[in-house]
Amino acid sequence: MGAYVRRRLLQAALTVLGVMLLTFVLFRVIAGDVSAQYLGPRATEQDRQRWLAQHGLTKPLFVDTHHAPWSKAFWDSQFVNHLVDSVTFGGRSFRTHERLRDIIAKRGRYSLAISVPALAAGWVAALVIALVVAYYRDTWLDRTGVFLSVLGMCVPFLAYMILGQWLVLKILPSAAWGLGHTTNIYVPVTIAVIASLGHNVRFYRTIILDEVRRDYVRTARAKGAPLSNILFGHVLKNCMLPILTNLVTAVPFLILGSLLLETFFGIPGLGEQMISSITSRDVPIIAGLTFLTAVIYVLGYLVTDILYAVFDPRVRLQ
Amino acid sequence: MDHQPTSDLASAAAGGLPVDSGRSFWSDARRRLARSPTAMICLGVIALYALVAVVAPLAYADWQGDTNYAQANQPPSADHLLGTDTFGRSVLAKTLLATKVAMTVGLVTNLIAIPLGMFLGAVAGSYGRWIDDVIVWFYTTLAAVPGIIRVIALKFAFQGKVLFAGTAWELDLAGMGGVCVALAMTYWIGTCRLVRAETLKLRELDYVLAARAAGRGRLSILLRHILPNVAHIGVINFSLGFVGAVTAEVILSYLGLGVQVGQPSWGGMINAARTDLIVGRWWELTAAVTAMFVLVLAMNILGDRLRDALDPKLRNA
Repeated sequence: MGAYVRRRLLQAALTVLGVMLLTFVLFRVIAGDVSAQYLGPRATEQDRQRWLAQHGLTKPLFVDTHHAPWSKAFWDSQFVNHLVDSVTFGGRSFRTHERLRDIIAKRGRYSLAISVPALAAGWVAALVIALVVAYYRDTWLDRTGVFLSVLGMCVPFLAYMILGQWLVLKILPSAAWGLGHTTNIYVPVTIAVIASLGHNVRFYRTIILDEVRRDYVRTARAKGAPLSNILFGHVLKNCMLPILTNLVTAVPFLILGSLLLETFFGIPGLGEQMISSITSRDVPIIAGLTFLTAVIYVLGYLVTDILYAVFDPRVRLQ
Repeated sequence: MDHQPTSDLASAAAGGLPVDSGRSFWSDARRRLARSPTAMICLGVIALYALVAVVAPLAYADWQGDTNYAQANQPPSADHLLGTDTFGRSVLAKTLLATKVAMTVGLVTNLIAIPLGMFLGAVAGSYGRWIDDVIVWFYTTLAAVPGIIRVIALKFAFQGKVLFAGTAWELDLAGMGGVCVALAMTYWIGTCRLVRAETLKLRELDYVLAARAAGRGRLSILLRHILPNVAHIGVINFSLGFVGAVTAEVILSYLGLGVQVGQPSWGGMINAARTDLIVGRWWELTAAVTAMFVLVLAMNILGDRLRDALDPKLRNA
């Protein structure tokens, strides 16, 4: 167990390190000089140099070889500063000079207010529908369910948003205009839940049916156990592993919320921040938010993997 | 093909029945696919989209400048079957022209992603050791930045970049080229993972051991025995990746990170129409969403049928 956890921790650490390297290469090396965005058309070369120096962009890329490795100046490079900023979420916005962690503290709750209910409700709804559909497999109910979920997953997410907003305006115009707190939340949440149903129902149904085909289910049926007991007692429990893994992959989007929903409904969350930072080429914020989602993703996987190992001894041996 | 003996062996071992010789894995899969009318309809739909993608730019060559403000925002009529957009141009022509963007993005993305993923996956699986570690670390790192955020981040970094500048291969990453490269950098991972896992299994099979015992080099085994036997993963992932790329292009265009603004694309149409529904202009949105829906539906169903036809494990299920 200890060896397994250690190996997983090392893997996670290497991945996080890799992501820092990736964000550095993508946003500092490939994306290059974004000073033109902030300086205006009349800026001279001097202004540009001053701006670059102000934001630490004139420092050497990796290490300063003019100094000895034991001096502090040797390590005062763009990459080292990038690592520090990433870990502490201390990058400063080019535009407003706010620190990233302050922005996260300010905006994160709006994202969570939308994404947590959306994820929870979407998960429960998809699981319940998938169970019902799998229970009545090969009947008209199953076929209709599968047909609808295939149709549902082929409709673009943008269409759900635009139609959803239009419907709200048709049925409850006051709700959409008043934008009291509750409407502000439940309209995007409902849209997110409906849009995610098609894909998830189909996915969960496949997993459940795979499990239903196993021998132990046949044995249980042969000895006369009621189908509902088998389905909810045994099958569901054994399906939880892939279903929970699927849920974990959605966790990073909790923080960033749904980029699309936030931009469409003007919710001042982190997803909206990400998009507006891209428009204004606010590199430290983009890099920091990308890193944040990656860290949450890696941590989510780490925790699930360790939990699997705790509950399922077979995992440890792999 | 090289892998035919194995599939014969496998089916003979599984069923103990005589296998009629001369039918390869691929022709068998083709027969299975051809027997399914749904799959054939989907294939027909996709072929139609491909045809439109090629013909529409020729047929509507002067659409871009065909503005007529007196005719702006007209609902569908006999003159304009799907109405007109804000510049008075035909929405029907716009929808058909946009097919080119969707099909190109879907195709080019996967033409980069699938070979890359298959090759790296097979190399990681068959060489093992530090090569495997590096490749796995690389894709785990990329995959740690989730989904659409990865595509957005890549597309942002590519803004204003030109690959192979000054050569015949010049590729401007600002518009469609950047979308394809950013998406390809995302979609190779799934293929790579599956191919690596499959290669690890194949490596231990008797016929690969036999080839090694006969003195074949690693690279030759990789090219002759491993890659043909994982090719079906590439084909299945192609259809999945196609759907993903078409969908992602729409989202990128909506966020303003897609193809160039003037270029007609479904994402751009949906973006332009996002406030139109409220004032009762439904045709541009409906046209773009329907066009995309039919393509994605056909591709999804075809992907399922392809998997049924190509994945031997699912056959007896």
